[in-house]
Amino acid sequence: MGDPMSGKRISRREFGRLLGTSALAAWPAAAALAGRAPQSVERSGLSPRSQVALVPCPDYGPETLAAAIREGWRSSRPPDVRGKRVVVKPNMVDVSADRPIHTDPRLVEALILHLGDQGAREIVLAEGTSHNRDSEWLFRRSGYETLAKRRGVRLVDLNYDDITPVQCVNPRATLLKEISLPRTIHEAEVIISVPKMKTHKLAGITLSMKNMFGILPGMVYGWPKNTLHWNGLPLSICEINGTVKTHYSVVDGVVGMEGHGPIMGTARKAGVLVMGDNALAVDATAARVMGIDPALVDYLAMAHKIRLGSLRREDIAVAGENPERVRIDFALDPEYALLRAPKGR
Amino acid sequence: MSPRLSQAADFIKARQNPDGGWGYGPGRASLVEPTGLGLLVLHARGDVAAAGRGLAFLKGCQKPSGAVGINPRAAEGSWMAYAALLSFHALGASEEARRLKDWILGFEDASSRFTKEELSAIATRFRYDASIPGWPWTPRTTAWVEPTALFIIALRRAGVPPTEKRIKSGIDLILDRRVPSGGWNFGNPYSKSYELEASAMSTALALAALGAAGVPEGRPAVGAGIRFLEKSLAGDVSTATLAWTLLALKSFPGAAALVPGTADRLAALQARDGGFRGNPFETALAFLVLSDAPILRPASWGTR
Repeated sequence: MGDPMSGKRISRREFGRLLGTSALAAWPAAAALAGRAPQSVERSGLSPRSQVALVPCPDYGPETLAAAIREGWRSSRPPDVRGKRVVVKPNMVDVSADRPIHTDPRLVEALILHLGDQGAREIVLAEGTSHNRDSEWLFRRSGYETLAKRRGVRLVDLNYDDITPVQCVNPRATLLKEISLPRTIHEAEVIISVPKMKTHKLAGITLSMKNMFGILPGMVYGWPKNTLHWNGLPLSICEINGTVKTHYSVVDGVVGMEGHGPIMGTARKAGVLVMGDNALAVDATAARVMGIDPALVDYLAMAHKIRLGSLRREDIAVAGENPERVRIDFALDPEYALLRAPKGR
Repeated sequence: MSPRLSQAADFIKARQNPDGGWGYGPGRASLVEPTGLGLLVLHARGDVAAAGRGLAFLKGCQKPSGAVGINPRAAEGSWMAYAALLSFHALGASEEARRLKDWILGFEDASSRFTKEELSAIATRFRYDASIPGWPWTPRTTAWVEPTALFIIALRRAGVPPTEKRIKSGIDLILDRRVPSGGWNFGNPYSKSYELEASAMSTALALAALGAAGVPEGRPAVGAGIRFLEKSLAGDVSTATLAWTLLALKSFPGAAALVPGTADRLAALQARDGGFRGNPFETALAFLVLSDAPILRPASWGTR
């Protein structure tokens, strides 16, 4: 495993060592600051079985999307957004005219309308881009600026937001002992991660948990969030997700990206939305749709180990489609071929 | 000073925080980058008192090591120090400028942290030389094109010669990271066999730095970069990128024909309140570039 953003390579052996002995191997029962708690099944009050909705969504038509979101919302355990400030965090690592890099704005818009129907007091669309820091241009090119104006929601560049220091809930955390959180994230009452279903050249796949990289401000962590790469991707992903709760995830699997993602891959239609309140369970289910064994994805295995949820099939109740039935094997770079799940699992 | 520029300076002055600094938006927490450029605007207008308050804020951000982080609470120095150096130098805070210059010249990136095997793997798979020292965003991490460019611009304006070892190395890094088909992105020209796209902001900053260091426009990378910017100008360009682009174009005589149109386009983005997108940083940057403020004026101008 290599990370050209840092140059560091983490061997399987080292990864095993990290799982066994690192700060993340056991999260404390102690309460977090700012009311943020590690998302272990026990602490979050969830029943041990996560509820994930796997909903067919063959296209980005507004009616198709609205119906799919309603169905997924109804059949999972959505947060109560009534009267609350909700932050919607799409994935926009970059924008391309011919490759589906960012979460489709039509899905984001349909979700915003749905949240409005559910009584959200304020909806904020927020992203901290990681490669290209020209957010004015990216927000325009992605279509997010237009939709934010059309729907009257605030659009926030998290890279330059005011910051609030938040202690990582794990006192033995690695380099993210204190996380500089954008005010927009810190003050959010509900955070909804809306990633694109993509392969990732450094992480294997990128879904809801990896999408949370984008909440950390570039002005503190650099671009492409380079401090996090040097800390190690699995550790960073787990420390962020262990400190900041994602209340709900909606994975844009209508059209995803396969091959050399998250930027240079090619479009792959999966025709689904994957939705749920536990990001790890959602990611594990989305991985299965992509033909990937989630237990072989480093950061998902680590997240499972430290009890940010469970990736085991038996711990996740999937409503709607059967992951195996809608499975579409996303093409993988050769070094990630080992992530492929055998058929029938 | 034109009425429009004066209005931009008014916009800046009206948004100065009580602590003397500026944030990226009105009422937002003070940070070093918007403060560094904001006080340069007031200095250019001769508003000594307000500029002095900004300078005091910046001085309060400096560590005993000379480092400057993003704000007074930052534990370490980082990329925004470039803006503090420009201000310290312009306002004659010579001792602070000297200490910060020394810190910047010693600001460590990750180039010495890579093993031989890692350097080889990066060279093979990502086609750049990670052993070349440049400047990172944050300490001891990888050097990238934009922070390297920002520090080169600031050091040159603060009088550090282009023959200085770190500047020469920074130039080497920028040239090494160019995208083969023209321009620069954040710093990865390739990902495996895929050439990554250049971006206008990275390209503008890279060219402005190369110009500041006296790299001639006859260098193929410079010519290709200017052509990339020209192509980018045919489409949508953001406010900050337009300002950096104008600075880059002014740095090379061969790009002079593009300067008036780019300047007009940037000036046209000014809002009725005098600001650019309501953002003190972008307003200050636009002011400094449009007004040819000495602190950002390309060196080549003096020889024309």
